[in-house]
Amino acid sequence: MHSIYQRLNSVSALLSTCLLVLLGSIALTTYVHETHPSGTLEISSTKVKLGRMRYQRRMVETAHVKFNYNADLTSLFHWNTKQVFLYLTAEYTNAQGTQNEAVFWDRIVRRKEDANIHIAGGNKYFLKDLTRSFKNATSVTYSMKYNVMPWIGPLTWGEAGRTEALPLPPAQNTV
Amino acid sequence: MLDQFRRLGFRHVLLQVLNFASVLASGLAMWKGLGLLTNTESPIVVVLSGSMEPAFYRGDLLFLTNPPTSAYRTGDITVYNAPGGAIPIVHRVLETHDLVTKLTVDDVVVPQLLLTKGDNNQEDDIQLYNGLEYLERKHIVGKVNGFLPYVGYVTIAMNDFPQLKYALMGILGLMALIQRE
Amino acid sequence: MNAELQRLLDGKIDFEGQKLATTIMNYIIIASTIIAFFAGWALQSLTVTFGIVGLSTLATGLIVGLPWPFFNKHPVPWLPASSKTKTS
Repeated sequence: MHSIYQRLNSVSALLSTCLLVLLGSIALTTYVHETHPSGTLEISSTKVKLGRMRYQRRMVETAHVKFNYNADLTSLFHWNTKQVFLYLTAEYTNAQGTQNEAVFWDRIVRRKEDANIHIAGGNKYFLKDLTRSFKNATSVTYSMKYNVMPWIGPLTWGEAGRTEALPLPPAQNTV
Repeated sequence: MLDQFRRLGFRHVLLQVLNFASVLASGLAMWKGLGLLTNTESPIVVVLSGSMEPAFYRGDLLFLTNPPTSAYRTGDITVYNAPGGAIPIVHRVLETHDLVTKLTVDDVVVPQLLLTKGDNNQEDDIQLYNGLEYLERKHIVGKVNGFLPYVGYVTIAMNDFPQLKYALMGILGLMALIQRE
Repeated sequence: MNAELQRLLDGKIDFEGQKLATTIMNYIIIASTIIAFFAGWALQSLTVTFGIVGLSTLATGLIVGLPWPFFNKHPVPWLPASSKTKTS
């Protein structure tokens, strides 16, 4: 410890150990915080259109869903929350027995002030089936899910709003 | 420096080499062990692109797992290698299609078709799949469970600015010389 | 000139000073980490936490790194130089 270099060296060694413990503790606080997000999801209308997408030859049935969503997600925001990724999924089983889940709307919530959500929205992304048709598919359950992304440590997922199974109407030809 | 070695003796030098080699070997063993534990070949990755901003920036560190018996769900953030792709891509799962009817006795988990999209991109990743319409589990390296900001930037900087690598080695060499033992 | 530069870079302090430096370093860094964690938690701000850690580190570096006079209060009592007789 007789030279500046040695003293600074041991400061950095102690600092590294302390930082490791600090970062670990901050990461663990993710699990300690009680979060109670609540939301209500309502589907206002669904339409299935037959058309082309992505400049392809074949016709594809796409579902267009309009929804209302009201939620209080403020409890998800604590010191280790970087952002909350909100996404709306449609879950159903198609005629061939394949179970599908597709995201057709999402939003990034970056601040606690933006965490009270009252929106009416619609598709951001295409909702389509592997077989390009929704014929004989089961009713669709819609679910609003979220992903809390931390500054340090583990990511957490959850759900804040779900509807009961609602059938899709038959396809309208729009071509 | 050479007479320093001669002073220490040949056996001592060999001992130093052995110490160095065992440090390297145990480091490698820990890395591979972590890969076994998480079931992925690359349990820790550095974010290379800005397509997941503002969640992940270039240089952030991600901790991955690849649970063998559970299916991937929408909203999971996956790291995958597109067939013929140059670098692994970190994007979020947009669609999952569980082919339950194609499940065989040998399958540990239901075969799935997945579609991904970067949070910061307008469109899904189909352009990146080199011809495929969906990804399969075999393309996925793992899903993101943990996050550490900034720490990985050193590796990106070293790659983008090779002068930095030489500068660093130069500084270390210089310090070894001016240090009085 | 080289010796002068080397002495400056060394920043020597005596043994009592070294003990003091180690103690100061341990107390400041560990205490600031603990305080930073709880202060940040209470105010729900990571900026507070890392701000406290950063400032404390800087302070510690300056206090412990530089050869302040209070580190040299107990200089080592060297024996006076004796004249050597040559042996053949």
